[in-house]
Amino acid sequence: MLEAQDLRKSFGALTVTNRVSLEVARGERRVVLGPNGAGKTTLFNLLVGELPADSGQIKIAGEDVTALSMDARARRGMARSYQKNNLFSGLTVRENLSLSAACAQGKAKTVAMDSLRDAGVAETVREMASLVGLTELLETSADSISYGARRRLEVGLALASRPRVLLMDEPTSGIGPGGIHAFHALLRGLPAELTIVIVEHDMDLAFDIADRVTVMNFGEVVFDGPPQAARESALVKDIYLGTWAEQP
Amino acid sequence: MFYQTPLKTAAILLLLTAALVYSLVAGFFGLEVLTEVAILVIVAIALDLVAGYGGMISLCHGALFGVGAYAFASATVLLGWDASIGLALAILTACLFAWVIGAITARTHGIFFIMATLAFGQMGYAYVFESRTFGGDDGLPGVPRLDLSGLGIDLNDSFNFALLCVALATVAYLLAAALLRSGFGRTLVGIRSNELRMRALGLPVWRHKAAAFAISGALAGLAGALAAQHTMFVSPGLLHWTLSGELLIMVILGGLGTLVGAVVGAGLLVFLKHEVARFTEHWHLVVGLVLIAVVLGGGRGLYGQAEHLWERRQAARKAATAAKETPEHA
Ligand SMILES: Nc1ncnc2c1ncn2[C@@H]1O[C@H](COP(=O)(O)OP(=O)(O)OP(=O)(O)O)[C@@H](O)[C@H]1O
Ligand SMILES: [Mg+2]
Repeated sequence: MLEAQDLRKSFGALTVTNRVSLEVARGERRVVLGPNGAGKTTLFNLLVGELPADSGQIKIAGEDVTALSMDARARRGMARSYQKNNLFSGLTVRENLSLSAACAQGKAKTVAMDSLRDAGVAETVREMASLVGLTELLETSADSISYGARRRLEVGLALASRPRVLLMDEPTSGIGPGGIHAFHALLRGLPAELTIVIVEHDMDLAFDIADRVTVMNFGEVVFDGPPQAARESALVKDIYLGTWAEQP
Repeated sequence: MFYQTPLKTAAILLLLTAALVYSLVAGFFGLEVLTEVAILVIVAIALDLVAGYGGMISLCHGALFGVGAYAFASATVLLGWDASIGLALAILTACLFAWVIGAITARTHGIFFIMATLAFGQMGYAYVFESRTFGGDDGLPGVPRLDLSGLGIDLNDSFNFALLCVALATVAYLLAAALLRSGFGRTLVGIRSNELRMRALGLPVWRHKAAAFAISGALAGLAGALAAQHTMFVSPGLLHWTLSGELLIMVILGGLGTLVGAVVGAGLLVFLKHEVARFTEHWHLVVGLVLIAVVLGGGRGLYGQAEHLWERRQAARKAATAAKETPEHA
């Protein structure tokens, strides 16, 4: 479903991703691990087209999208959530979700009707709000909801476009154990055919949902395999030195 | 997001009533002022559409206004075409210019966008100023007005012309309000709020911005055509950037991103100009002081501030009734 080959990106002399390749099957849950600065977010930026790759190739469902802009890739079913909340500030939760749903449903450019009052958009908004637990806050400004709620809206925005491929960048950062637990349940409830790539620091969650794990270090993929093998790999342990407890 | 709130409706009805009453009691000079305000309201609405709702602070709307005026004057005076064709041409030409400017500048932001639009506007000014065809700095005199004699309306009568301009300003408001309540308008506000996210959601943002700019340009062109008919004369000054600046001042005075504020601001600026000019030449100084007061007072503008207070009261009232319905457990 999502293929990346030999992606390379440097900022000046600093090579941030180096020959990164990735192949994610339809419906697969792929977890990307790696220490701070490993290039995970940069990899996402390359995949969605927010940054142009210096070299390499990206395919969505077999189609080469390397030359396509970020919005063109999104229209082919790619969505992402950001590590740092990147919401529509000044707008309510409902308006936020509506913008995403309207875009995906081809109602973002019409002058003939109000996308906020459109039945199809409203239906998606209702569903997504309930999925990410924001139903009560729909009419509240995205600026005045709690950090945890904003984090959920961040994921909700990506989900409301009903993507085929969803990239989530540390969706659980800073939300505490309760939030992580709820997010875990949310992930399990997502459609099985949705392809997910997720950067996740919570190891219990990561290993529980992962079909496959990719580990990055210094901009390179240093491991790619099933979660069990990742857990046992000496190299991975080395990189993550003591950041997660040894499983019995 | 734009909502046609009861406050907005009330404000517009009040302003419209005031304009109509004024037109009945005003003498010739008063009607001239009313016409000027109505025309400026149209461009100010055009500007608020892109600046207030699209986040595109344009300094070329004076030039687009001038392009409309010149297109109308050229069609009627130079080519001898009917004024109705001139009007359509003015709208189309300004729309096209605006689309091109919008498409080219859509990828720039902040000060770069402002400077780019300023540059385009000044290019237009310089061209017209130098152009023999368009009469250079002498401009083009003898611009006719629309012929509505078929409807029994003589537009050379300043009362009738003033009413036409007020009617078209009302139409401009209704059009802008309808646009802002459509999927297109919602998305435009989304771009203002977070352009990157809008792109990440799959919107070709620059095309959307260019389209919004084109629609805004069409309105500015309409206003320009009316201005040419009003003074029956066009000159390069119509395209000068100072007019763009004044338009921006109007919108900020009234309240950026409120639509009604554009109407209030246009009226206020013209009022200040004429009333203060009676006492002193330094009316710009007074406008400057008022603008500073508005900016320091939260920057919401006159109508914007009123709307802010009204919305806060609405919210408080809603919270109060909600609290009443679910009494706290003792
Ligand atoms: N726009 C940029 N310009 C220059 N350097 C950048 C840019 N973006 C990222 N970097 C650098 O690239 C490296 C990788 O950053 P990236 O954000 O991809 O890491 P990450 O794996 O997501 O880390 P984290 O776990 O902290 O989110 C870092 O050293 C970062 O400083
Ligand atoms: Mg990161």
